[in-house]
Amino acid sequence: MSSLTRFRTLMWLEARRSWVWGVALIGSLAFWAWGMHQVSFVDPGEQLGVRAAILLVASGIGGLVLCLMIGRIRSETRHGQYQVLLLTPPSGYLHTLARFTFVGMVAVAYYITIGGLAWWAIAQAGLQLDAGSAAQLMLVCPLYGVGLAMLPALAWTLLLMVFVSSYRVSGPGWVPGTVMVLATPFLGSWISEGIWKVSYRLPSWRLFEGLRAAINTAAWEAEVEGFQGVFSLPQEPLWIMLAISAVMLAVAGRIWQEVEG
Amino acid sequence: MLANLTNVTKRYVRTEGIRDLTLQFPAGEVVGVLGLNGSGKSTMLKILAGLLMPSEGVAAVFDGPPRRNRARVVYLGETDALWTWMTPADAEKFMAGLYEDFDVARFRELLGSLEVPLRKTKAMSKGERGRLRLAMALARSARLYLLDEPLAGIDLLSREKILTSIVKEWHTDETILLSTHEVAEAEALFDRVIFLHKGRLALDARAEQLRSEGRSVVDAFREVLS
Repeated sequence: MSSLTRFRTLMWLEARRSWVWGVALIGSLAFWAWGMHQVSFVDPGEQLGVRAAILLVASGIGGLVLCLMIGRIRSETRHGQYQVLLLTPPSGYLHTLARFTFVGMVAVAYYITIGGLAWWAIAQAGLQLDAGSAAQLMLVCPLYGVGLAMLPALAWTLLLMVFVSSYRVSGPGWVPGTVMVLATPFLGSWISEGIWKVSYRLPSWRLFEGLRAAINTAAWEAEVEGFQGVFSLPQEPLWIMLAISAVMLAVAGRIWQEVEG
Repeated sequence: MLANLTNVTKRYVRTEGIRDLTLQFPAGEVVGVLGLNGSGKSTMLKILAGLLMPSEGVAAVFDGPPRRNRARVVYLGETDALWTWMTPADAEKFMAGLYEDFDVARFRELLGSLEVPLRKTKAMSKGERGRLRLAMALARSARLYLLDEPLAGIDLLSREKILTSIVKEWHTDETILLSTHEVAEAEALFDRVIFLHKGRLALDARAEQLRSEGRSVVDAFREVLS
């Protein structure tokens, strides 16, 4: 039996056990869209600012829900399903990869929809983006954000839960959990410093080159004085965080093979 | 030898599951793993399944670490560990997609003979769920079956169906380790019985030998564990 067949089965299992979470999460954006629609200010800049804040809150809450979604190992342990999975033939790497891929796909769908809402909010504010800038807003920005922050957060949560569950039977699980949670801010700040030092060494990605023209057309000149109309996005942070996510997933997969149930 | 335990001890955070247990399980026998609650039956089966690692000693299945050989062992745990949304069709998809030795035709036959309803497990009774789990386990073609309390909390008729299926599906090159509190009902199945008491081996005997001494397994159970 090929690993691909087993991976497909594990993805099916993920979809069956988590589809309600995925649909509820993406469906919750209808609520946020309704909230944005209720915002009404005379000043389009102010209106755009409040709508952007709503999207920021939706992004944060969505991130938390996605982490809860991938970290539901504890309830599975209580109900014995985790033990069933631990004894199935696929390796721990394949199990963790399937969980991560499914939740990662939900994250991508969620944040692309948020990108779409951002485009709508910008259009409502009178800024008509060109096709390239709109695509960058709805695709490139969400994918960059997911790769930079969400995937590492998901990999970290999965690693935390697998790490804690590996101590559950023969030792106190809260010890490794506390150590990992306390160590994360220090590691995080160390990684951020490192990323900051190496950023912009590779050619950066230029985004929203059509934004300047949209601002001029909408006569927003006074409100965004001095803005050149182009964002320069460094690629190093994305690659570094993706590499860190891959390492965390690999460690989680290795620990999975030793977890007791 | 299909499985070995050599001086195996398993310690939990505050208690000890089993202590210094040495046992060998050759091919072709049905072994009753018997004992009172907390005697270490589940711990022993979980170690052989690869779900627990020994604190001391060595556990081996097919001459290797149990966890590494997990694909060759059938383990039916004591917990009712099925997803509530799962139907027998989902169970078939799950097992067929993960286990190479899962026989779909045999599974469907077992569903019929065990009278498992084709609805979600959350709408099934405990007995029906137990029979579904047993069908999932017996539809695999492994050589070592570890069945931990498959009769627990299940009504008399379901228990009979389960025991009949175990007898019917057993092949002479396979070994079944069956832990149960329903000693009287399962007695006829056993070639060998192992009594555990407070994590230690209290008795390891052939069922035939007990019978030739004029004792039943139930009698021996009472004598050894009382």
